[in-house]
Amino acid sequence: MSWAGPEDIYLSTSLASYLDKKLLVLLRDGRKLLGILRSFDQFANAVLEGACERVIVGDLYCDIPLGLYVIRGENVVLIGELDLEKEELPPHMTRVSPAEIKGAQKAEREASDLKGTMRKRMEFLDLD
Amino acid sequence: MLFFSYFKDLVGREVTVELKNDLAIRGTLHSVDQYLNIKLENTRVVDQDKYPHMLSVRNCFIRGSVVRYVQLPPEGVDIELLHDATRREARGG
Amino acid sequence: MASEEESAVKEPLDLIRLSLDERIYVKLRSDRELRGKLHAYDQHLNMILGDVEEIITTVEIDDETYEEIVRTTRRTVPFLFVRGDGVILVSPPLRTA
Repeated sequence: MSWAGPEDIYLSTSLASYLDKKLLVLLRDGRKLLGILRSFDQFANAVLEGACERVIVGDLYCDIPLGLYVIRGENVVLIGELDLEKEELPPHMTRVSPAEIKGAQKAEREASDLKGTMRKRMEFLDLD
Repeated sequence: MLFFSYFKDLVGREVTVELKNDLAIRGTLHSVDQYLNIKLENTRVVDQDKYPHMLSVRNCFIRGSVVRYVQLPPEGVDIELLHDATRREARGG
Repeated sequence: MASEEESAVKEPLDLIRLSLDERIYVKLRSDRELRGKLHAYDQHLNMILGDVEEIITTVEIDDETYEEIVRTTRRTVPFLFVRGDGVILVSPPLRTA
């Protein structure tokens, strides 16, 4: 495989135009990573420096620092370039501590689990 | 190769890419490759309130394997051309 | 009358070739169904459909009664590229002999 010339890079799907920029990487499990793209290959495997995970629960968010990450391309949904002129998040969102966001995540998970359990109980009653 | 060629001709037009995770992004088609990976420019998310983290994303790369649909602009669809290309491809072209 | 080569059905995709420019039914993963006119396809079953109607079936659980609520939502799209890896089945139009 040959390397695309610098002009081709900007006309192709190559991630070269995103090198050294701050990016948002969406993963297949729904996680959102932020970091600076330092390297990539044809599979969209990517190296993010200064990576953090942005956890959002309702109007709360928290950036949890992760460090240097190598992401397997298969798990990438989307890589977005962040416009540094714009606000990253809407103004109504509040930054909270990692402990607070984990609490909010847990509460959200429990609420949806409860729905599932109640449904199961109802099914059980239907059988009686 | 049919759809790779088709999307290459569509570069510069507005499309809406709908992903398997239900995220829908509208933008100008910047480029496409043989895997149907796509780069979009001047993007906006269709349901912005549901995806606040996408607010400042203006350009993006989308992995072809996560695409469910691409809504195409009617002026970017030449039906006769598509039929001919499909028949050629079906013959093993 | 189409030539013998054009109309022969030897393998599954031949049936799809014969459906070009006809309205077909497509069942997709995640409870989605499409009806539309087939304008293009390839060996992966990537397709371009025209005048598409999409039906999405969702099941929600009621907040109070915890009963299942089955909802269908419909929309129409003028032209749609469909990625083949989500296709479960394609049904060609019914032909009367």
